[in-house]
Amino acid sequence: MAYVRVDQAVKFFPREDGSQMLVLNGVSFETKEHGITCLLGPSGCGKSTLLNVISGLERLDRGQIEFRVSGSNPKLENRNPKLGYVFQDPRLLNWKRVEGNLTFALKGMRIPRAEWERRLGKYLELVGLLEFRQQYPLYLSGGMRQRVGLARGLVIEPEVLLMDEPFSKLDQLTARKLREDALQICARLRQTALLVTHDVEEAAYMGERIVVFSARPAHIIEVVDNPLAPSDRNFDDLHFIQFKKKLLNTVLKLIDQEVRV
Amino acid sequence: MSPLDSTTPAGPTRQEDVITDPSGAGSLPRPIEIGSRRGQPAAGRQALQDIALRIASIVALLFIWWLLSLIFPPTLIPKPWETFAEVGAIIGAGDLFFEMGNTLRRVGVGFGLAMAVSIPLGIFMGTMRSLESFFEPPVVLGLTMPGLIWAVLAIMFFGLTETSAYAAVAITIMPMLTISLWQGTKSIDKDLIDMSKVFHASPWSKVVDVIMPQLISHILAAIRYGLGLAWKVVVVVEMFGFSNGVGYRVVRGFNTFSMKTVLAWTITFLVVMIVIEFGMIGWLERTVTRWRPRVEAWRR
Repeated sequence: MAYVRVDQAVKFFPREDGSQMLVLNGVSFETKEHGITCLLGPSGCGKSTLLNVISGLERLDRGQIEFRVSGSNPKLENRNPKLGYVFQDPRLLNWKRVEGNLTFALKGMRIPRAEWERRLGKYLELVGLLEFRQQYPLYLSGGMRQRVGLARGLVIEPEVLLMDEPFSKLDQLTARKLREDALQICARLRQTALLVTHDVEEAAYMGERIVVFSARPAHIIEVVDNPLAPSDRNFDDLHFIQFKKKLLNTVLKLIDQEVRV
Repeated sequence: MSPLDSTTPAGPTRQEDVITDPSGAGSLPRPIEIGSRRGQPAAGRQALQDIALRIASIVALLFIWWLLSLIFPPTLIPKPWETFAEVGAIIGAGDLFFEMGNTLRRVGVGFGLAMAVSIPLGIFMGTMRSLESFFEPPVVLGLTMPGLIWAVLAIMFFGLTETSAYAAVAITIMPMLTISLWQGTKSIDKDLIDMSKVFHASPWSKVVDVIMPQLISHILAAIRYGLGLAWKVVVVVEMFGFSNGVGYRVVRGFNTFSMKTVLAWTITFLVVMIVIEFGMIGWLERTVTRWRPRVEAWRR
């Protein structure tokens, strides 16, 4: 596993009229190794842009992204670590069966064919879709499709798993169940992951570390580490609710300050 | 009203259901029964109705033909059954398979050539702006060119050879196929391309796993239209002086002023076309779109 260090990231987007819009304004933070780091911020603040930069879909204008492995002296990881991605819409290939969607990623990442069967079994089992491996995605429910997306992100055994609001399009109950399962899976795999969200409760529940973003142009206003271990987090638990409230107050206070400024 | 509407015509047991309906409204097995009653048999009935309407349409056409044959002399409009007897004679003599085989081969080769050029060209035009600008004028020009003129040009250029038939068919349908693929490529889902980039899919895998499946419905539509055009052109080419093929037979009927022969060949040709269109292409469509659940709810 690796962790991600974002250093003074600056990113502009061209506007329609040709001028430049500042999206990321010197963003710096480090993710946890072995655990989920949540990027929490208002919609449209540039969190997803940062994720796209980390995944290589877009480039920074200034600053850099580093992948490191911890040790006595933190050294730079290889420049192209294996990254898994889970999208907001699952972005499945609807003409491929569930297992075909996973092997598409395995093939792309040049995973030896001999490995495929073991991995398909392992990760479909983890997300609870083993018996649906021959099914086509459009015959599955929205939550199950998102599970396929999660399995596809995990099956390549990435050093860092990137998740872009993967639960925001699901109904509340489905999303809650999926959050529980995803947290458990990531904890079990000791998976380094980045989760983009605008949902404070989700961040408090999923994140080992929560990085709070300002509104656009985005900068980091606070980095909070979760006092609760993954197994101790429970939506109805008093400690969890207290932590959630604290996080919510932090975010609200910051939004207040932003408005006054 | 509507539950009654959908239940009453289905069968004898249904009537009983309707009568007992108000009293037994709360009993346990009801929801299941209602579900199955509205679902399966209604769909089956719909299918039967569709088939019945199609048969009625054909019968109506034959009836009009028969009426017209009463009014006009048999040299202009022969009786339907006489024409069908002629069809039988054509089949019996073994001519059908020979002539139809020649025509089908010309369509097939020309069509294959056109597909081999148009599918890559259309995909390139849809993905690369420079190629789009460069190839747009010839493709649009080609689309407006009548197939008949291509047939004339091909015969003048290649003479009365098989090559001219292949060329005429290929070049007539090429622009239409290309445009269909080109527009289809432009409408594909960019998010899926991004997804394939994130997982480092190879260029080949992007085309085969991501782009082509999204084009399949465009390709099928193009095959339908393309075949329709191809049949028309190939018959024209054959009429110009080939010594076999369906077009040649039709012209021979014309030269002897035998309406019966012309119609008989036309009908056999139509039947073969329909078998190919609805049988083969329909089968192809069902096979390649198995992943898509059937949605017909919006239709009446």
